[in-house]
Amino acid sequence: MNRRALAVAVAAILLAAFPLVVKSQYILQVGDSAIIYAVAVIGLGILLGFTGQMSLAQAAFFGIGAYASALLSISFGWSPWVTIPLAVAFTALVGALVGWPCLRLSGHYLALATIGFGIIVQLFLINDKGLTNGPDGLTGIPPPKLGPLTLDTYQTYFYVVYGALLLSIYVAWRVKHSRIGRALEAIRENEIAAQAMGIDTTRYKVLAFVLASAFGGLGGALIAHMTRFISPDSYSFDQSVVFLVMLVIGGSSTITGAVTGAILLTFLPEVLRPLKDSYIMVYGAAVIVMVIFMPDGLIGLVKRFAPSFEPSPPRPQALRAPVPRTADTAS
Amino acid sequence: MFDPSATLQLIVSGLAMGSIYALVALGFILIYNAVGVVNFAQGDFVMFPSYIAVSFVLPSVIVFGTVVHWQLPLIATYLLVLILMAAFGLLFNRIAYYPLRDRGWLPVVISTIGVSIFLRNLAQLIWGSQPIVFPSLFGDASLSAGNLHFRPQDLLILGVAGILIVFQYGLFEWTSLGKQMRATAQDRATAQLLGIRVDRIVAITFIYSVLLGAIAGLLVSPIFTVTKEMGGLISLKAFAASIVGGFGSIPGAIIGGLLIGVVENLGGFYISTAYKDAIAFVILIAVLLIRPSGLFGERVSEKA
Repeated sequence: MNRRALAVAVAAILLAAFPLVVKSQYILQVGDSAIIYAVAVIGLGILLGFTGQMSLAQAAFFGIGAYASALLSISFGWSPWVTIPLAVAFTALVGALVGWPCLRLSGHYLALATIGFGIIVQLFLINDKGLTNGPDGLTGIPPPKLGPLTLDTYQTYFYVVYGALLLSIYVAWRVKHSRIGRALEAIRENEIAAQAMGIDTTRYKVLAFVLASAFGGLGGALIAHMTRFISPDSYSFDQSVVFLVMLVIGGSSTITGAVTGAILLTFLPEVLRPLKDSYIMVYGAAVIVMVIFMPDGLIGLVKRFAPSFEPSPPRPQALRAPVPRTADTAS
Repeated sequence: MFDPSATLQLIVSGLAMGSIYALVALGFILIYNAVGVVNFAQGDFVMFPSYIAVSFVLPSVIVFGTVVHWQLPLIATYLLVLILMAAFGLLFNRIAYYPLRDRGWLPVVISTIGVSIFLRNLAQLIWGSQPIVFPSLFGDASLSAGNLHFRPQDLLILGVAGILIVFQYGLFEWTSLGKQMRATAQDRATAQLLGIRVDRIVAITFIYSVLLGAIAGLLVSPIFTVTKEMGGLISLKAFAASIVGGFGSIPGAIIGGLLIGVVENLGGFYISTAYKDAIAFVILIAVLLIRPSGLFGERVSEKA
């Protein structure tokens, strides 16, 4: 086990103590939400950070996962342990159906097509009252049970979301350091060159899109069983934008960046709350400042000012493009 | 079921709404052509000037929690709004774009998103969260011709949009400034070599785009209520319009905007009111799948 893996393991164990140390229900709630968002943002990172394809529909997949799991558990009385994986599978299927035609596009065109998809999903959630109960949303979503224990507090639910986060990090890490991950990276760096080297670019892009959707669906399903109430306005275009901002601020091409960005930007508005009415405004300004002064995201900043944080030997930085580029802007 | 006079009225009001989409889409495209970035704050450049306008036009408006009675003449208000927004366009260029100009498109996109969040919440901070009604210049009476009834505001929108499009055509075809803007959009490096002050032209393009948004806002606010969210859907549909027309193409944006305005109005009447707002995006996805370069776009193959 190298030092890096050891550091990650120690951090993971320390973080597991979070609900034992923190007693404030409010902070626990924000913490649980931050972790759930991190799952969705890791997924987006596979698509944008690894593959260089931009999606603005992550909130739509988040919503599909939330509604799928909620509806299955309410209508059939199934346990969330069953409905959450089913919701993830369903979201992945939707991702494949949407991704296959859309990923013939790239760059801004793909982003715009996904915006369209996101809006259609939200309108469907609002208008298809028979299935989704419309703007009033769904109530009475059951919390998961573990033996005799009902995981209905933020404290106990933390371990559900934390487990999901670790699983997501593991899957994303395995993807990144596999043949698939290298193919995705090749597509990000130069799609035409990747194609010339025999990579089936469309297939890999769709795969990245499906993975991103599945992670989004997992996040959505988790939040549905935590808040136990969902309504369409949580899954808007604006939420997709928030996921994107989290990823880019954190540092889009690393998993650590995705997790850090999600946690930081979930807590940031809460920290700014004493500013009362102006806090989201300050948040907007903070986003601009961060993107100007942190070219490689938060992770890049940490690396620049604390080089000792990186385990030795230093990795060749030149192999890593700071910003994912697509062919149409790489002039 | 088919009603010819209702259909004609729907087409006219659809064209009016479509002109608004076209103006906002032009704002998108000019910035996109100049710097290769989609400006996600374009919708807020529709919303913010509308708020400024109502605060000067209405007899009493609550600004920062205190009631003000500025009530300027309409023309003075419009001029003031345009001057303020021009200054804002320059500020936007300097803060949200200029420091990031060499870093690819993603950081700039994120920074325009930051501007959008900032403006929406600034508007809420200044004017509160209650929607404000901008009175129509023409009252509520409709113009009638036979059994056809038109909203005068729709006709005003069509007229102003028409004049602006002619103005822009003239600007781009016949003036040195317009030619410099086109040259910069086409090939920045070459334009610079030819002695064009590229950064200045880009700044002017930003200001012009913001003004297009502001004019669209002033025109549309008597039809919509003024809220901090009013720009959101307009700008997304304008996006759709610019893709449908062929991204980067100016005539494409205009035709795409008009097309979406008319089709969604007819679809909202004949197919489904609830899904009216989805129509633009269904058209968008269909066009992207069938003809990704849009109706008027050049077939672009990606550069290696």
